[in-house]
Amino acid sequence: MYLFRMMAAAVIVFIMQTTFVHRINIAGAAPDLVLVLLAVLVLDRKPLLAVIIGFSLGFLQDLGNASYLGMNALAKSLLGYGISRFASGYFPDSALFRGLLLFLAALASDIVVLNITASFNPGDVLLSFFRYSLLSALYTAVAGILVFGVLGLLPGRVVRPRGGY
Amino acid sequence: MQIISFLFEKHPDKTVLAVAVVASLLMLNGDERGKIGSARAISSFLLYPVERTRSYFVSVDRLREENRKLREVAVSLAHERERLSQFMEERNRLRQLLGFRMDSFFQFLPCEVIARSSNRFHHSVTVDRGADAGVRAGMAVVGYRGLVGRVVQVFPTSSRILLLNNKSISVSCLDKRSRVVGMLNWERGNLFRLEYIGSEEDVQQGDTLITSGLGRVLPKGFPVGTVLEVSDDRTELSRMISVVSMSELNTLEELFIVTGGREWNSREMLDRLGNIEEKQE
Repeated sequence: MYLFRMMAAAVIVFIMQTTFVHRINIAGAAPDLVLVLLAVLVLDRKPLLAVIIGFSLGFLQDLGNASYLGMNALAKSLLGYGISRFASGYFPDSALFRGLLLFLAALASDIVVLNITASFNPGDVLLSFFRYSLLSALYTAVAGILVFGVLGLLPGRVVRPRGGY
Repeated sequence: MQIISFLFEKHPDKTVLAVAVVASLLMLNGDERGKIGSARAISSFLLYPVERTRSYFVSVDRLREENRKLREVAVSLAHERERLSQFMEERNRLRQLLGFRMDSFFQFLPCEVIARSSNRFHHSVTVDRGADAGVRAGMAVVGYRGLVGRVVQVFPTSSRILLLNNKSISVSCLDKRSRVVGMLNWERGNLFRLEYIGSEEDVQQGDTLITSGLGRVLPKGFPVGTVLEVSDDRTELSRMISVVSMSELNTLEELFIVTGGREWNSREMLDRLGNIEEKQE
């Protein structure tokens, strides 16, 4: 049942990411809904499963842009591991801290992605980071808070001991 | 292999992470063409439902946009139609004042070709409608693109139609653009010659010829052919003008017999359109 829910959620998020998200961009920044999904799925999961989920989601995201095949898989694997390993232990179970977690995760993801796409050119990486990444990360954090809030309102949801779904 | 199994037993999460990182880096450093090919193969398999759903939403967007444009066109056409309808009423009133007959539009009786003549020099076809359906000798016959001939013999359930590609038929035609009148005679195949056109008269290549309605043999206004070539020799009294017929006269299948005219009634046309829309719904 968990696997089915995960797949259904992944399908919905990918559809939204490819069809809907570009319409709500603000000054070129758009939320990374796949990252939000990753956080929802791996929070309070074992790191092993988190890495597999992260790699799978990233790989699926990469299929849309084969020139950088492996880029999002790498970023999401690391983030899945990081969120699972550290976030559940160190971040309290509150909306504000989840937002902060997503903000930091989005920044970390962008650092990996920007370094690969800009061929580790520090000038380009920093320019794009300050121009787009900060706003995108903030946007992702806000979207994530909303998603966590909506999930919290759903009837009959399964809440894991430390806040995961 | 033993090292990997040892690592996997001792530190499963870190080992899987390392494998994922290595796999990602290997993919990143792979051959560009190979990456694109394999990504296409995998995505077409894995993302098929996603792609279908995505294309559905994209097509909904496209249809919405198309619908919006069509609405604009429909509104503009409705205004245009209303304006033309007013012009037509005004024109009919003026014609009535001047003593002309009212404009009418034609009634068409659809029919199918059931036989062709075997004579090489006398081209005619037989259609499956006759006197029982109201067909009379002399009625004009048109195809989808224009005039093809006229009814010469009527039987109870069939009729014989003499086609334009006969030496015995001459059609009085009008140049749609310059209103010059001439006689159209068959030469060979789908080629005709427009005769009795003065050397100074304005007929150009590409002009459309329509029936002139002179002599009341054929009704006015049906497309007959297109001017293919106009001779430059102006020393003669008349010019040589080659015309190609609108309809492909050797491959006729469905035709329409012009059974008569009737008065223009815009209300009736609107009702007909309404009925069609209702049926479609």
